[in-house]
Amino acid sequence: MPQPGETGAPPPDHRAAPGPWLRARQRPHRHWLVLSAASTLVATLATIALAGLVAWAVHGTLFAADPPYLPGILLGGLALLGLRYAAQALRDLAGHRLAFAVKQQLRTDLLQQVRHAGPARLAGQTTAGAWAEQFQTRVDDLTGYYARYLPARQAVILTPLAILAAAFWLDWLAALLLLLAAPLIPAFMAIVGMGAEQIHRRQQEEANRLAGHFLDRIRSLDWLRRARAITATEIEVVERSHQQRRLTMRTLRVAFLSSAIMEFFSAVAIGMVAIYIGFALFGAIDYGPAGDITLFTGLFILLLAPEYFLPLRQFAQSYHDRAGALAAAESLAPALASPNGAEASAAVTEVTGGDETDPLLKLEDVMVHYPGQRTPVLKHLDLEIQAGAHLALTGPSGSGKSTLLAVCAGFLPPTEGRIQRHARARHFAWIDQDAHLFHGSLRENLQLARHAMIPDAEMATALEQAGLPLDAPELPDGLDTAIGEARHGLSGGQAQRVAVARALLSGHRLWLLDEPTSALDVKTEEALLDTLFRLADTRGLTLVIASHHAAIHRRCPQQLELAPVTPETPHA
Amino acid sequence: MRDETRANLAFLHRVFRRRRVWYWGAWGLLALTWIAGIALLALSGWFITATALAGAGLLATLDLYVPSGGIRTAAISRTLARYFERLVSHEAVLRSLADLRGHSFRGLAALPMARVRAYRSGDLQTRLTSDIDTLDGMPLRVVGPMVAAAISLVVTLVIAIWLAPWPAAAVLAVSGLATLAVSALLALAGQRRSHALVQARARERIGLFDYIGGLAELLAYDRARGHEASLRRENATYARQQRAQEAFGVGSEQAVQAVVGASALLMLVLALGWYRDGTLSAPVAVLLPLMTLGLGEVLGSLPGAWWRAGESLKAAGRVQHLEAAGQAPAGAARPAPADHAPVLQAHGLTIGFHRERPLLGPLDLAPARGRPLVISGTSGRGKSTLLDTLAGELPPLTGRIALGGDDLDRISADTRYRHLSYLPQGLQLPDTSLRDILEPRHTHLSDAALWEALEQVDLADAVRGTEEGLDYRIGEAGSYLSGGQRRRLALAAILLQDRPVVLLDEPFAGLDPRTLERVLSRIGPWLNQRQCLLVTHAPESLPRDWPRLDLGRPAPS
Repeated sequence: MPQPGETGAPPPDHRAAPGPWLRARQRPHRHWLVLSAASTLVATLATIALAGLVAWAVHGTLFAADPPYLPGILLGGLALLGLRYAAQALRDLAGHRLAFAVKQQLRTDLLQQVRHAGPARLAGQTTAGAWAEQFQTRVDDLTGYYARYLPARQAVILTPLAILAAAFWLDWLAALLLLLAAPLIPAFMAIVGMGAEQIHRRQQEEANRLAGHFLDRIRSLDWLRRARAITATEIEVVERSHQQRRLTMRTLRVAFLSSAIMEFFSAVAIGMVAIYIGFALFGAIDYGPAGDITLFTGLFILLLAPEYFLPLRQFAQSYHDRAGALAAAESLAPALASPNGAEASAAVTEVTGGDETDPLLKLEDVMVHYPGQRTPVLKHLDLEIQAGAHLALTGPSGSGKSTLLAVCAGFLPPTEGRIQRHARARHFAWIDQDAHLFHGSLRENLQLARHAMIPDAEMATALEQAGLPLDAPELPDGLDTAIGEARHGLSGGQAQRVAVARALLSGHRLWLLDEPTSALDVKTEEALLDTLFRLADTRGLTLVIASHHAAIHRRCPQQLELAPVTPETPHA
Repeated sequence: MRDETRANLAFLHRVFRRRRVWYWGAWGLLALTWIAGIALLALSGWFITATALAGAGLLATLDLYVPSGGIRTAAISRTLARYFERLVSHEAVLRSLADLRGHSFRGLAALPMARVRAYRSGDLQTRLTSDIDTLDGMPLRVVGPMVAAAISLVVTLVIAIWLAPWPAAAVLAVSGLATLAVSALLALAGQRRSHALVQARARERIGLFDYIGGLAELLAYDRARGHEASLRRENATYARQQRAQEAFGVGSEQAVQAVVGASALLMLVLALGWYRDGTLSAPVAVLLPLMTLGLGEVLGSLPGAWWRAGESLKAAGRVQHLEAAGQAPAGAARPAPADHAPVLQAHGLTIGFHRERPLLGPLDLAPARGRPLVISGTSGRGKSTLLDTLAGELPPLTGRIALGGDDLDRISADTRYRHLSYLPQGLQLPDTSLRDILEPRHTHLSDAALWEALEQVDLADAVRGTEEGLDYRIGEAGSYLSGGQRRRLALAAILLQDRPVVLLDEPFAGLDPRTLERVLSRIGPWLNQRQCLLVTHAPESLPRDWPRLDLGRPAPS
């Protein structure tokens, strides 16, 4: 199976403006745009041929000595019709395929980006909810741009040009009328664009202001109810909506004019063309080509006139897709920005195979400096972790306990320094302050610890040792109990015990724990720590615990006190 | 399911009926736009053919100016109708939006407190707003096109019957019905798929939450790549389904256009046949197929209309659900207690959130009118929960609270607050002017009374310092005021409410001793006329002669 993430698109410039960013994302999938342009052209040619066929049928029936064979006209017409709509469907499908390809690549990149950024950096940037929103909704907001706007932009140039060419060939005066009706299509596009954007923005602003007022009153419902002002406020909400309506309508009356002008041009142009052709056929005009005009030419041009303006209208409709996509691109581009681009890591990490007595992990002169912050979080830090150590990382909040733990885990490459990682420290168990329980059964949550199948008996033993025996009332279905998201009846302490069991099953001897008890009350904390340290002793585990809890400090023979780095007192 | 759809439709009908004149106007204008478009095309065809015949000497006389005037009229009225259609439809929608906001505000206000708080968290608020916005699709994008399409179709049918033999009308009728049926069927099939899509999306969201939330564990146990790959695979499947759905939509649109085009061709061939028979004149023979072609714009809007109907109905279901939930408890309301100054009493009261773990109690409370009862205790003891319960905003676990002899939980919220003022711990003031905070019911209190109340809580000087005075806006969540100013402003409003029972939670938080003394001396007389319970963490700063109730330390858990 191909790995789109690894070998796909060349990485676009992430700090680019949203417009170029959108274009950069479509570049690897350009062939779909070629297909949509080709289908547009085919559909337009079929339309022109169909108009010619119809005009010829009418002309022939009225004037030719040998009238055309009508069933033949019907069949030929149906074939052209089929071609036209098949080509149009193909054009739309090509647009959707393009959108699909771009979105797919984008989502692949987003997923990969998360893995590379790691939990430590991610925590500072976004929440799971916001990220999922980006992944699902923001990416979907791009659909309209690729599926509708881009094909419509092609059609707005290709179709009128093809029709104009056909009209010029037949009667340049009629073609001139059409051309004048859309003085310059780019000018039209600008008008439409400005109009659409203006309407879009204004309406959005008004709607936001109104929604803000509404939400504010809902938030203060308690106060309003206690003040017995519900009815008065309801009247205010309604009155406010009407006030906004009057304001909005004032802008809309002007804003709609621009599109009305376009409509006017297209309607009048069709009318003008019809009247010109009529007068020319009648013989009232004999200037230029008007003298030679036939019913065939007249009808042909008349049938094409609406088709000439159709792409313009569709383009105008798709314009708001562009506005939505630009907004989405603005929020997506930074989410994809490479973490290494902003903070170059000059750190050296090496894995040593060394003998048993070597430290598991050795940090030398490590510095971590988050971009955009004045002082580094960690500075000149040296640390050696021996196998079997119980080390507490202590210090006030903001002193970099969690950052140091993330460096130990390899989630965060330090800005500077040297890390020696023993081969035995390549794998480790991790326990957070809020153990994440994955959606699914308890068994699935435990199986996560190891790639090989874990037998039920081993799981039961691990749970027992972690202090959550399988016959606990919270686990009615034993290993098949559904846990996850809302924890389904497991308390915070029990969730931590599931995490401990998971860590046990992993078989890793280095355990990294980030504030493992901060979400627990005192009694639960003591009980969990009893379990933890008993296990550590019997199994010879190495514990590194970041915590500000005294209960943990008491139990750890080794401690590393971290102090916030200030410019005046560099950390020693 | 069907009942639900009917109920949702009835709800939509109720909401939009109020503005029916506007909607009918918009639909009429839409029909006019389309009919003018059809007329433009059909008349032009007629005109060209007639002039060609006249030019060739096959038609004796031809008035050039009436038909060309007709073409110009059609062209101009199409533009005007389109312009006004957009204006009128926006006007209608914005009016309905105002109605709906009023509706849903009333619905929310009638909900029990706990439910409103649930709405407050999460994205339900935003969903409510977007649901309201989705609703207006019903009259404008669903019903409107259908009504206008029906009108346009009838007009063309009448013309066809008048001008040509019956098969012409039959072709039009069949093409109209065929598009309606095709688009309805396609939309129905599409909606079934969209249900599966919504579920797939929810599943994907769970996977994403696990990926982000459990990233550390996944990385530690070397599962991140695997999880990423499975998310990518699932997303690919989901996206393929989504693409099939979109292809379906694309296909149905083009299919409808093709049906219209085929009907126009058929009409052309029929009309030319009739011309050869001598049944029709040549100009009419050209007019008929062009008129049919003009229906393309009309019928092309139907697939989208069906498509949107589903979304609007779903949104209607959610909004209506909210409204229905709000109306239920209103029926249980009792009339006001007869007593003019009813007294609040509690017997055997235990409070808390879980029956197994009561925070406090049992407790008997019957504070006397006159001096405030000062309630204190360490934090986490349940002081604020006690006031919430006494105000009737949280049901007691056991025991009985009575207001003027009636059970508190049987008195409607509005009646309860006729007799009871409550300043809670979490205060959320609306973003409005000081005047509207002090006098939210617009009861025509004089400015002097408002200033007097501000004076009593020692805020008058600060307000005089602003340019706007009483019209000063306090900002979102009162952010232009300090925390202490907000509480004092709320206290001033409570003074003006002038109710016999007053519950105050930390009313003087953040006041320096001298200001506190000033405020106490000013509102003392007012407090002495009513039954007051006051919660504070600093009882020593209050007058020594006020009775005390110390709740002590938290119960061991």
